[in-house]
Amino acid sequence: MFALLRQLAHTRAEAGLSRGRPRSVALRHVDAGSCNGCEHELGLATSPRYDLERFGLEIAASPRHADVLLVTGPLTTRMATALRTAYDAMPEPRLVAALGDCALGCGILGDRAELAGALEDVLPIDIRIPGCPPAPQAIAEHLLVGLDELERGLTRR
Amino acid sequence: MSFRAIAAERWRDEVAAELAGGARFAGGWASGTEWRIVLVDPDGAMRALRCAAVEGRVPTIVDLVPAADWDEREGHDLHGLGFEGHEPLRALVAHPQAAEAWMTPVDGDGVHEVAVGPIHAGVIESGHFRFHTIGERILAMDPRLFYKHRGLERAAEGNSPADALVYAGRACAACAVTNSVAYAQAVEDALGLAPDRDLRVARTLLLELERLYNHLHDIGALCAGVGSAPGTMAFATLKDRAQRINERVAGHRFLFRTVAVGTGALAIDADAADAARGALSELRADAAAAWRELEFAGSLQARLNGVGVLDTTTALRLGATGPAARAAGVPRDTRTESPRLWYGDSFTPAAPRAPTGDVAARLQLRAAELEASLELLDGLLIRPTPAGTTTTAAPPQPLGIARVESPRGATLAAVELARGRVTRLHLRTGSYANWPALAHAARGNLLPDFPLINKSFELCYACVDR
Repeated sequence: MFALLRQLAHTRAEAGLSRGRPRSVALRHVDAGSCNGCEHELGLATSPRYDLERFGLEIAASPRHADVLLVTGPLTTRMATALRTAYDAMPEPRLVAALGDCALGCGILGDRAELAGALEDVLPIDIRIPGCPPAPQAIAEHLLVGLDELERGLTRR
Repeated sequence: MSFRAIAAERWRDEVAAELAGGARFAGGWASGTEWRIVLVDPDGAMRALRCAAVEGRVPTIVDLVPAADWDEREGHDLHGLGFEGHEPLRALVAHPQAAEAWMTPVDGDGVHEVAVGPIHAGVIESGHFRFHTIGERILAMDPRLFYKHRGLERAAEGNSPADALVYAGRACAACAVTNSVAYAQAVEDALGLAPDRDLRVARTLLLELERLYNHLHDIGALCAGVGSAPGTMAFATLKDRAQRINERVAGHRFLFRTVAVGTGALAIDADAADAARGALSELRADAAAAWRELEFAGSLQARLNGVGVLDTTTALRLGATGPAARAAGVPRDTRTESPRLWYGDSFTPAAPRAPTGDVAARLQLRAAELEASLELLDGLLIRPTPAGTTTTAAPPQPLGIARVESPRGATLAAVELARGRVTRLHLRTGSYANWPALAHAARGNLLPDFPLINKSFELCYACVDR
């Protein structure tokens, strides 16, 4: 395993990751009809080069343990119920992040009859992460900035 | 390509005769009230057959070709065709409430049902699995997919061939190049266009870049399946490096918008080719070193042998394809029969050390294919690649068909054209062909080993659901 660990250490050094302000935020991902691009990039956002967890952002296995619901895809009719169930299972306060252009309602492809409509008509979107798909770095940055802004907005209020 | 029309009463005999002559089933789709299938000869030559439904029904061929099971069920669910003799014709794309309408019936003392999904615990695509278990053992498993069905094939209809490309290309990010090239080649087949050398080289290069990052991803995902964090993280990092090379050489991490219909969409100049070749050479050394570590990681290797076995007979019967089939001793690779690409006569598919058809063989085969892809890319990037184009070589036909080897196996694209518009697009990807084989390979295994077995096939949901 030593060669693997050396490679990983090299990656970390090369990326020169800063720590930033730590927090404790659990994310739950729901694929609502994505092309799998956002999933690939979200997966890499937790890999050593980007390491989302250094900010205290971790992916939770269940919506019951999640603060943020990360939704990808154009929302197919067949995923609408499952998405709603996942959202309803989350403890409050809860946030929704639209991950990728499909979840943001841009350039959606498909047959109208198979799509349940815009995500923002179904759930309130708090954080928008544009891109097709957004790169791992962009996912991390948008999440951090979005969380910061929400926090500032809350304290201002 | 043109169809050979066969009357319903002759359908089964004609298909049986084709199969006896060595042809294999490559996919079926409904168009209006007709059923169409594609057969492939051992040398890769394809034939399209069509059969008009009589009172909405076509005789089934599922007993002759079990690989046609999903195709016929989809033909029923999406296009309303009946298949005489396909009993029971369980729902596949449709999602009826009643379990018996879609599930394999399993009964007996101590049999439990375990329902998983459509939302899974990790960051993966949506789909539902229904397991029947006794204790920890899986008796049977039914994948219930199509939660991500976007109706892409239907939405493509009525568009010009150039405008419809995006429906094939965006069906799946991880197979974007394969699906785009298959679609473009199908249209070019219909329009009688032949690619020049540059276009053949450029598309081959893109397909191998796609295979590279996918295989790196899949090896990492398999490590995750046994909880080997160093392997998972090392191969995730290698995959990211491959995708960053994609971005530099082609402008996109998933190689989106690098394929066009009838012409090239990506030119690689000498500097870009040289830079990519250098970066890939470094990646190759690190990937080889990382792979050697996995080969000697006892706690990983101990979990792989004899798990999720797909034997040769079953692989052939169910029409498994790609690494899953090759690891099971079926030495087929569409790259050996791709005159529209640039693999050359010397290309031979990687073979597993032992065709045991288990998780170990699928993992080891991917590592061998990774090395082969890097070797191919090294040769292709020696010189710059102009975008290339096509020239008219044959009169246009209303049908075009193409098969391309994706990281997960043979992908078929069929395009029907009329008055310059796409009237039907059908995409049958390597993943689509392999899902029934995965369900079969899971039987008899421990339920907690399913994630590992699943990762060893690493099939897409997005391009299956479309």
